[in-house]
Amino acid sequence: MPDNTLSDRAPTTPPAEPAAPEPRRKVRAITVWTSVGPFAVFAVLFALVAILRPNFVGGGGLPILATQATAILLVGLGQAMVLHVGSIDLSNAAIALFGAILLAKSIGTMGAGGIVLVIVVCSAIGALNGILIAFFQVPSFALTLGTLGLLQAASLIISDATTVYASNAGLVSSLFTQGIANLAMAFWIAVLVAVVLWAMLRFTVLGQSMTAVGLNETGALFSGIRTRLIKIVAFTLSGLLSSLAGIMIIAQAGSASSTGLGSDLLLPGITAAIVGGTAITGGITNPINVIFGALTVTLIPIGAAALGVPSEAQSLVYGLVIILAVALMISRRNVGVVK
Amino acid sequence: MTKAIQEERPTPAGIPALKLTNITKVFGPVTAVDKVSLEIPQNQVVGLIGENGAGKSTLLKILTGLHEPDSGVMEVGGKPVRFRRPQDAAAAGFGVVHQEQSLLTNLSVAENIAMNALSSKDNATKGGWYRWGQLNREAEEILARVGAKIDPRAVVGDISFVDRQMVEIARALRVDEMTHASPIVILDEPTSVLERNETAILEREIALLKNIGSVIFVSHRLDEVMRICDRIVVMRSGSVVADRPTSSVTEEDLFQLMVGHASQATKSAATDRDKGSEPLLQVSGLTRKGEYKNVDLTVRPGHCVAIVGTLGSGRESLVRALFGAEPFDSGTLSYRGKRLKSWSAAEATRSGIAYVPAERKVEGMVGGLSAAENLVLARTGRSGWFVSKGKQKKLAQEWFERLGTRPNNPSLHLGRFSGGNQQKVVMAKWLQSETLQLLILDHPLRGLDPGASETVNAQIRAARDGGTAVILLADTLEEALDMGDDILVMRDGEVTARFDLTVDAPTSLDLLEKMV
Repeated sequence: MPDNTLSDRAPTTPPAEPAAPEPRRKVRAITVWTSVGPFAVFAVLFALVAILRPNFVGGGGLPILATQATAILLVGLGQAMVLHVGSIDLSNAAIALFGAILLAKSIGTMGAGGIVLVIVVCSAIGALNGILIAFFQVPSFALTLGTLGLLQAASLIISDATTVYASNAGLVSSLFTQGIANLAMAFWIAVLVAVVLWAMLRFTVLGQSMTAVGLNETGALFSGIRTRLIKIVAFTLSGLLSSLAGIMIIAQAGSASSTGLGSDLLLPGITAAIVGGTAITGGITNPINVIFGALTVTLIPIGAAALGVPSEAQSLVYGLVIILAVALMISRRNVGVVK
Repeated sequence: MTKAIQEERPTPAGIPALKLTNITKVFGPVTAVDKVSLEIPQNQVVGLIGENGAGKSTLLKILTGLHEPDSGVMEVGGKPVRFRRPQDAAAAGFGVVHQEQSLLTNLSVAENIAMNALSSKDNATKGGWYRWGQLNREAEEILARVGAKIDPRAVVGDISFVDRQMVEIARALRVDEMTHASPIVILDEPTSVLERNETAILEREIALLKNIGSVIFVSHRLDEVMRICDRIVVMRSGSVVADRPTSSVTEEDLFQLMVGHASQATKSAATDRDKGSEPLLQVSGLTRKGEYKNVDLTVRPGHCVAIVGTLGSGRESLVRALFGAEPFDSGTLSYRGKRLKSWSAAEATRSGIAYVPAERKVEGMVGGLSAAENLVLARTGRSGWFVSKGKQKKLAQEWFERLGTRPNNPSLHLGRFSGGNQQKVVMAKWLQSETLQLLILDHPLRGLDPGASETVNAQIRAARDGGTAVILLADTLEEALDMGDDILVMRDGEVTARFDLTVDAPTSLDLLEKMV
């Protein structure tokens, strides 16, 4: 009868430390919130604008919102991938703008080849970020701050510090002129990317390894995960998604310059990821929620303008709403456990 | 020792230092502590033992003011008390030495000792200013009381592990400086991270502590509890199941009281496993500056090599090099007859080597992933790009059942399990691999209760008997003697002795001699 004491007791006596059951119930509410929170935040803000200005919805507010959110969403998704492995990529918006300028210059002569070129070059820059971080142990914050500077300089040089007009932008502009359900095709592509990334994180070995690296890099290393490779993959993804954002800039504007459309994507991108529930400490990311993060970030200035908030107060509104949204969304899933 | 120790305390004799009556604490559906009544007499060492999850930790948290009991009365020195926060407990004379050291390693010994008192009306830190002279003098005084000779100016990160433990105790004693109450020092598994010879030092210090206050000593090592304590309290499922003078119980009794069934530990049978098989891993002249030099080592399938040595013997760093997790300077590594040129943890994992690190929470697992996800983290011999959640769940349930892991819910974050159950999952992560050839175990039983130790040990034995080679850094010499087929003794990075247990029969003393 030696063994059955253990198995007998298991169902009747509650398991292990009381620490387990007590926070379990709390976690459930938190889990629900982490999965629907970003949508709820966006829905509430959108409803607020719609109620106060009913013709915002009727007057094409939603299509404008989707169009404006596209590049932010792509950059935000790239940022989320990097945040997911516990790093940060300060250069990814600069990669996007560099890609846009490169595309504007090359699309006229190379056509679709220019698109391929931009995707390859931007992914390579991302990969290089990753390699330098993984093998030379440079903190990602410092390294990508450096790459940011380099890319800004490169953008100025290849654009001659002026606006570069894409001579064959018609090739990509249909991304914004055509759409499904009144929302631009470009936006749906970005949404599709988010869904693919979500499935990747959830159902693939690569995604699970990225999560493990983000949560505990040493633990992952000692479980035989190629942690350096995983980081390089994350930064490469960030570069790849930035190239898509760059293509979207050309598709939307037909031109690019180092101060024009897309030159201020970095902070909105990070904010979109965080408002979308991404933990800056790594390992907790839901790309689907980053969609709502990006929409929220885009809605605030558009909504404020629609409500007639004076322009000098718009930054104020933006700042306050972002603080509120982040406070609501920042992941507390682990807090109950850790301390 | 010093004269402070002989000083008599004002509390009248006969009144227990601490008396608990019907203390109960309920978390949701779980009664963690169920009508616990016990007395801690003055100037005695009381052992508190129980399996992981028996309610010890909750009881300690109640004593230290982290949790408030739902009902019951606590009396300190005959007066009822209520602790609403940890400071209340400190003011009543409770000092705690936590299981995992909680010292700030970049500060000096004196600062660490003063840390608890920083907010009090304390001369050394009046008004937020540090008075270094007084701070150091006070630290020196209190260290002398526990009989430790440690420079209060030394940075904690630079002193040895056992010295740090003494600093922890000194810090716990600091509470009585503030309150002039007779201190009650709670030692929560203070020895689980200490090597054998260091434990002896600590035991001596605990004996000295008795002169100035009472001690509650929590440990999983029953032999130690028997040696150190005057009384032993056993908890199981939230209740006190026994409270007896040490002289009236045996280790076997205690085991039975804790676990609810008799111990099944079996001595390793005389090894008849094939000695002639080809070596799996051969190491020659392995050297890393400042860690170990010229280590030769051969591991055969189905055999266990135990490496013993004190802290600083270099054995931890050595086994990490074998796993590819740390570099080495010179020497050769051959695995399965092939000399290795490049080596990394990822390659080692893929060629069937497993490593269970001593720092379980930091290195052995990913706490934020579920137990099931941790189980498949090392993708040993598994190919493919996709994760099958169904298969993952099935595999986890199988292993949870086999190892009796509690709570029986593999989808909970692994960080929420107790230490013993975490270790079961970490072991299962490697054992479930079909390609497993070599298990490298760094203190696999550290901090585990006897029940969990037994389960983990049985798994190690089963793997070894099934043909897996094992390299073991054991917690105790007895464990090494019990599990090992060969024993390697290391001191200061060099191998000082080798014993083939099929031929030699060294005692712990023989090993100890070569270790220090």
